[in-house]
Amino acid sequence: MLESYRGISPRGDLLLLRKLADHLEGKTFLHINSTREGGGVAEILQRMVPILLGLGIKARWEVIRGDDAFFDMTKKVHNALQGYTEVIDGNMWDHHFKVNEENAASLDLAADAVLVHDPQPVPLVSFRTEGAWIWRCHIDVSNPQEDVFRQIGKYAGKFDAAIYSVSRFAGSMCPNEFILPPSIDPLSNKNKELTDEEIMEAAGRLGVPTDRPVILQVSRFDRFKDPTGVIMAYRMVRKYNDCVLVLAGSPATDDPEGAEVLNEVRDFAADDPDIHILLLPPFSDRDINALQRLSTIILQKSLKEGFGLTVAEGMWKGKPVIGGAAGGIPLQITHGVTGFLVHSIEGTAFRIRQLLNNNEMAVRMGQQAREYVRRNFLITRQVRDYLSVWYTLVSKARGLIEL
Amino acid sequence: MEEMIGGKGRPFEFRQCISILKSTGRKAVNLRQLREIIAAVSDDSIFHHTYQYFLKEHILEYTNDFAQWAGEGLEERALAEQLSNIDPYACGSTPEVRAALVAVIDSYLEGFPEPRDALPGEEFFFNETVTFVFPVGVWAKNLAEFLIALKFIDNGCIYYHFYEARTRVAGGVDDFSRWIEDALLKSELAEKVRAIDPFMHTTKEIREHISEMILEEVNADMERTGVQPC
Repeated sequence: MLESYRGISPRGDLLLLRKLADHLEGKTFLHINSTREGGGVAEILQRMVPILLGLGIKARWEVIRGDDAFFDMTKKVHNALQGYTEVIDGNMWDHHFKVNEENAASLDLAADAVLVHDPQPVPLVSFRTEGAWIWRCHIDVSNPQEDVFRQIGKYAGKFDAAIYSVSRFAGSMCPNEFILPPSIDPLSNKNKELTDEEIMEAAGRLGVPTDRPVILQVSRFDRFKDPTGVIMAYRMVRKYNDCVLVLAGSPATDDPEGAEVLNEVRDFAADDPDIHILLLPPFSDRDINALQRLSTIILQKSLKEGFGLTVAEGMWKGKPVIGGAAGGIPLQITHGVTGFLVHSIEGTAFRIRQLLNNNEMAVRMGQQAREYVRRNFLITRQVRDYLSVWYTLVSKARGLIEL
Repeated sequence: MEEMIGGKGRPFEFRQCISILKSTGRKAVNLRQLREIIAAVSDDSIFHHTYQYFLKEHILEYTNDFAQWAGEGLEERALAEQLSNIDPYACGSTPEVRAALVAVIDSYLEGFPEPRDALPGEEFFFNETVTFVFPVGVWAKNLAEFLIALKFIDNGCIYYHFYEARTRVAGGVDDFSRWIEDALLKSELAEKVRAIDPFMHTTKEIREHISEMILEEVNADMERTGVQPC
């Protein structure tokens, strides 16, 4: 499996991965999250587990189950941790714990390392028996609602380590807090090379015109991704440049607000024939890949963001990406070098116009973006980092480790 | 590393370092807090924000994380320039770098005693690293092999042998020039490599400069032995 990444991933990453795997071979590594489809976490786990297995590590991926009340509550937790005001009462927290207690009874939690993703399954740590337990917080917790943060912190403190995507998300909740950005898989359907014929076939099937520049945002239909702000920016650009806007996203089973936001966006687009709102079914990765490759400019105009993997995906396709300066997006986009960072709808419109009018700049930025992703945001680096954290916890090493 | 470099005729074994970031849990909102935390934080954290800055691809304007934050986060450009002027490799040790940073900030605060706060989210976050060092399975027995290897190794190798070596080896020199001098007995070339100022270059530029110097030397050797140069 690792062989497939030779010539794509940095050589040193592959070497270190192999060396770490030699130390951890035969051990068990359990990942737990709350959805098998939709969103960046599920996507990366679908690709990461086979890589770990290929390295000789016994990796498993379990998904917790919950009722509507559970997912409504965890969505509120998600929003509150990202800074929005939500009311979560004691009964809701009790239900959160109870659902996890039921899951703990039905899941096999025994493993040498357990990586729990995001707040939904975080109470599972109360039922830990053995191994190193690590909490992977993918969301922006830099300005959380205090009471919710404290409640989640009670669980987070029981882990051996926590992992955040960005430094400012780290919150002293855990004795060991690591900063590891997430990643994309260059060999997945979403990121592998496609032929021109494949791209054009997808464009035709999805009804996206290719005779004009295409501006694309791929994301869940979520207010934090500011889809209506994207439409407003597009309308400003249309006064000067003929182009098409595509908003594409998939539903996620752990996001009950998605349908409501999608309706808002459709109303706001008001039947403009050049605004294409695509609700793609889960596992539409190849179509998303094709959309990104046929686009002229890619947007990720998030107001709040965990990391914003769609930015790295767009950059990997050699496209200039305009991103909101939120969450992990500034880690991917060096303003003016590997893309543009924006802080407003007007700024988004201005940068779109700038790129539409300067193809040379768009090409140069796209090339620099692709190389930056290759060095920093490929899945091999993330697997390397997870194994590094695990090895660090097991060996209790600090500072410098010779392998 | 000593056994991999020292001694006439010994091949050069390339090694690489890769770091993962760890939070110290401490952050500074303004210059006074930055100064207080710099004075107290672990050596590992100071090392990371200064020495290991050269592991970055250096598309930023300043030469360490503190200067970068002073310039971009606080918009204190003069202070950013002064902090940028602290060369960790010339300082010689992490405690000396720490002392130099504190002295520059203290001096600045005397002139500007009421520093502004950074915007929320723009605070300075103190991190440290866990660094893994490992051989990359590449050896060079002579300059021609060394030149080929230089083209293929990752930037992390260049950092380890050219930057990190200065903090590891007595005398504060890089591994490349030591090998050229000790194993190949080419003192003149070793001096040329040593004359490259690490503070003024990225790892990419270091690779290019050393490659040029070695190519020139290999060509000169071939001319001396009557072989057609590269």
